[in-house]
Amino acid sequence: MQNIFNFLANPSRFRLFSQKYYSYTLFIMFTFIFLGLWYGLVNSPPDYQQGETVRIMYVHVPAAWMAMMIYLSMTIMSIFALVWRHPLADILSKCSAPIGASFTLIALVTGSIWGKPTWGTWWVWDARLTSVFILFLIYMGHITLVRSFEDEYKGARAGAILTLIGAFNLPIIKFSVDWWNTLHQPASVIKLDGPTIHIDMMIPLILMALGFLFFYFSFLLINVQTELNNRKLKKLFIQNFSVKH
Amino acid sequence: MNKFCRLILRDIHLVIKGSSDAAAALLFYLLAIIMFPLSSGTESTLLTSIAGGAIWVAALFSSLLSLDRLFRSDFEDGSLEQLALSGISLETIVLSKCFAHWLTNGLPIVILSPILALIIGLDFSYWWILCLTLLIGTPSLTLIGATPAALSCAIGKGGVLTALIILPLMLPVLILGSGAITAEISGLGGFGHIYALTAILPLSLLAVPFLASKALRLGWE
Repeated sequence: MQNIFNFLANPSRFRLFSQKYYSYTLFIMFTFIFLGLWYGLVNSPPDYQQGETVRIMYVHVPAAWMAMMIYLSMTIMSIFALVWRHPLADILSKCSAPIGASFTLIALVTGSIWGKPTWGTWWVWDARLTSVFILFLIYMGHITLVRSFEDEYKGARAGAILTLIGAFNLPIIKFSVDWWNTLHQPASVIKLDGPTIHIDMMIPLILMALGFLFFYFSFLLINVQTELNNRKLKKLFIQNFSVKH
Repeated sequence: MNKFCRLILRDIHLVIKGSSDAAAALLFYLLAIIMFPLSSGTESTLLTSIAGGAIWVAALFSSLLSLDRLFRSDFEDGSLEQLALSGISLETIVLSKCFAHWLTNGLPIVILSPILALIIGLDFSYWWILCLTLLIGTPSLTLIGATPAALSCAIGKGGVLTALIILPLMLPVLILGSGAITAEISGLGGFGHIYALTAILPLSLLAVPFLASKALRLGWE
């Protein structure tokens, strides 16, 4: 395991790695999302209470999982960046933020569309909804902070510091439905005593979750590639500039 | 410990001399509270129901406003760098600055709040829970805001950006603080919220000195 970390710690090696595997992750992502959509929209039963609106869940729930998982991975990578000064960890953390923000926005919007026919309202200030909204604001603050640095190296490290401060929100989101007994239903898949969801609904949910996971991987790889190319470009520019003048 | 006290005294001395805008932040606290009756009508029933939240929002904004300059003036004139080179650990300096900020911003807010609660129409028998939540909540506000304030020094510009970063982080404190008052008034008992609010303080006390000093060092790199 440690060998893999060390192998990928070299930015140019990581660039080659990501160029090689980017298309694979893209392919896997499309396969899973296509299968998941087919199962979810065509080949799964409507809910006995919610009817066809339950199909929104196949986008909403995986997006919400990803919103939290990406922040968790950003937190872990920020610890790597700040404690061991891993040269790629802060770049990975920085490049994850826009993807996480998008997934959070998708979760909020689809949840709102689902809430109108089911709860009768677009939005309630329930504990789960509020904490996910705060997560979105934290993501946006992170992106703004990182972009406002002229030096990318400093920007990425500043982002890592901010990520750790915002990490307290994660357990609040996860357990908000258990701690506060408000409108959003409690967890039914990721539970200690096993899932309470029917297998026909579980299959498309898992497929979509895997598709979204590989969406994250492929977009993370392309984002990191762009970031590394930008840094290299800047370095080359400075080198040429100092040679000529 | 002696050094820690002297650092705090230095910051308080700066505030008394007027080179920090702590007094302005307190004045802003008064003004922000007055906004609520002026904007949402002077009906006493409405005001009574929003009073706790209004005072909390005003406290949060006042703290936000003064946090922007928590490290900035010392960072810009180089005195913070000199302090860090003097052998005192940067974490201690950060803690002392946070404590001095709380003494000059949080504590006056806690002391003023019962009087302002009267003006804004909060039932006076609930003054104790207002003071208690503010007493526990304002140090958390200071500590949570310290790291973004240090990061804004590293960027070199503050203002809207700092507010944008700090506000979402402060929201849980606001929710729990004003939630405790609302729950107590409605008869549910506010201590559930207060326990959660109290949990934030030691956690931030543990993490913030390290992260804020990392952010300050980033500014010096």
